[in-house]
Amino acid sequence: MPLDKKRILIAKPGLDGHDVGAKVIALALRDAGAEVIYTGLRRSPEHIVRIAVDEDVDMVGLSILSGSHKELVADVVSRLESEDAGDIKLFVGGTIPDEDHADLRDAGVSGVFTSEMKIETVIAEIERQLS
Amino acid sequence: MTAPRPRRRISRELTRIANAPVDSVLAEIGDSAPASRPRIGVTGPPGAGKSTLINTLAAHRIGANLCDTMAVLAIDPSSPVSGGSILGDRIRMDRIADLPGLFIRSLSSRGARNGLCDNIVDLLVALERHAFDEIVLETVGTGQSEVEVAELVDTTVLIVPPDAGDSVQTMKSGILEVADIIAVTKADMPGAARMAADIGTILRARGDWMPPVVETRGDGTGVPRLSDEIDRHRAWLAEARPHAVSNARRRRYHLRALIARQAEEALSGDRHLAEGALADAYEKLTRKLGVG
Ligand SMILES: Nc1nc2c(ncn2[C@@H]2O[C@H](COP(=O)(O)OP(=O)(O)OP(=O)(O)O)[C@@H](O)[C@H]2O)c(=O)[nH]1
Ligand SMILES: [Mg+2]
Repeated sequence: MPLDKKRILIAKPGLDGHDVGAKVIALALRDAGAEVIYTGLRRSPEHIVRIAVDEDVDMVGLSILSGSHKELVADVVSRLESEDAGDIKLFVGGTIPDEDHADLRDAGVSGVFTSEMKIETVIAEIERQLS
Repeated sequence: MTAPRPRRRISRELTRIANAPVDSVLAEIGDSAPASRPRIGVTGPPGAGKSTLINTLAAHRIGANLCDTMAVLAIDPSSPVSGGSILGDRIRMDRIADLPGLFIRSLSSRGARNGLCDNIVDLLVALERHAFDEIVLETVGTGQSEVEVAELVDTTVLIVPPDAGDSVQTMKSGILEVADIIAVTKADMPGAARMAADIGTILRARGDWMPPVVETRGDGTGVPRLSDEIDRHRAWLAEARPHAVSNARRRRYHLRALIARQAEEALSGDRHLAEGALADAYEKLTRKLGVG
């Protein structure tokens, strides 16, 4: 399996209460062989980064529907760096307008996945980046 | 409270140990034996409330200064199809998730069938080396026969939900015999008192330790009493079982686990190995392992 022994944290920061998308991704990653840790809803960036560090994940996927992706990403990135964990890859999924993708990438995000993308495409891209 | 730990270093070390093949365990990992720390095992059927109980137990023990630092290893099953897993135990541990003295690591069983995972012995030792005051091990949701956790911990807490019904009958010979303390969880649901009483009638003393039955709830009711019983068992154990005996049991478990893995690695690495007459296949396998 391409994601054998890869550890991935799927996290939901912010205030929105929908985690169907996050769960779909978590299951698809498991089916590709990954060990997936899911945080549950409404976690603070501080909490997410602590879990990422303690669980020694290869990647954090943030599921954000609330529109505050820029702030949340900046917060998570700076906290990862101050925990000496800047090498952990960061992906963002959810409702992210096209014009924000470049900014997110500049901020340190390795992949932006929107709900229109096919799940196979998302998994393939994650496999590529983690291999 | 002790100084903040180098969490990232500990966590990377755990990954390295969890992924180590048998060779590296033998060469560099397996022999370190720091002063042992009290270990609590939490086992019981799937969904019985193990993680929820660890959440309230850890909050109580750290809150009441019974320990400053605690490490939790929580194992969830891997998919037999993809080998992947969803590690969900820590979702229930939200009450303790931000305590500075606490370290939680979720582990996949990676195909192990005894409720534990590869290299669990070395993972426990690594946490002892980092001097956590106490270590808690949550097994995969188990049936009656996954008793090996008791070989690795000092105090085995068996979690039974009120609706376990007939399965308590089947636990009679098996996990119930190695449990040091029984916690009937979900005591807010009907049937808990009845379940506790039923278990009480089938339990037997081991030596002069009679396993107590404690009722607990997800809101923490009953947890101080459980915590007291853990301390009482620990004190009893210090008198009743020399540490050398526990260490010898752990060593035997370790050796068996390494052999089992080596056999698994050999069999999955060469599919012809299992072919032919059983006796021949056995001969080939043992030769490959260098046994006998
Ligand atoms: N009513 C009630 N529900 C509880 C209690 N404790 C746990 N639960 C619920 O039982 C379900 C399973 O709880 P967990 O703590 O995840 O159980 P577990 O034994 O760790 O489960 P696995 O690790 O998957 O085997 C969850 O929905 C909990 O909310 C309790 O005291 N009362
Ligand atoms: Mg659990």
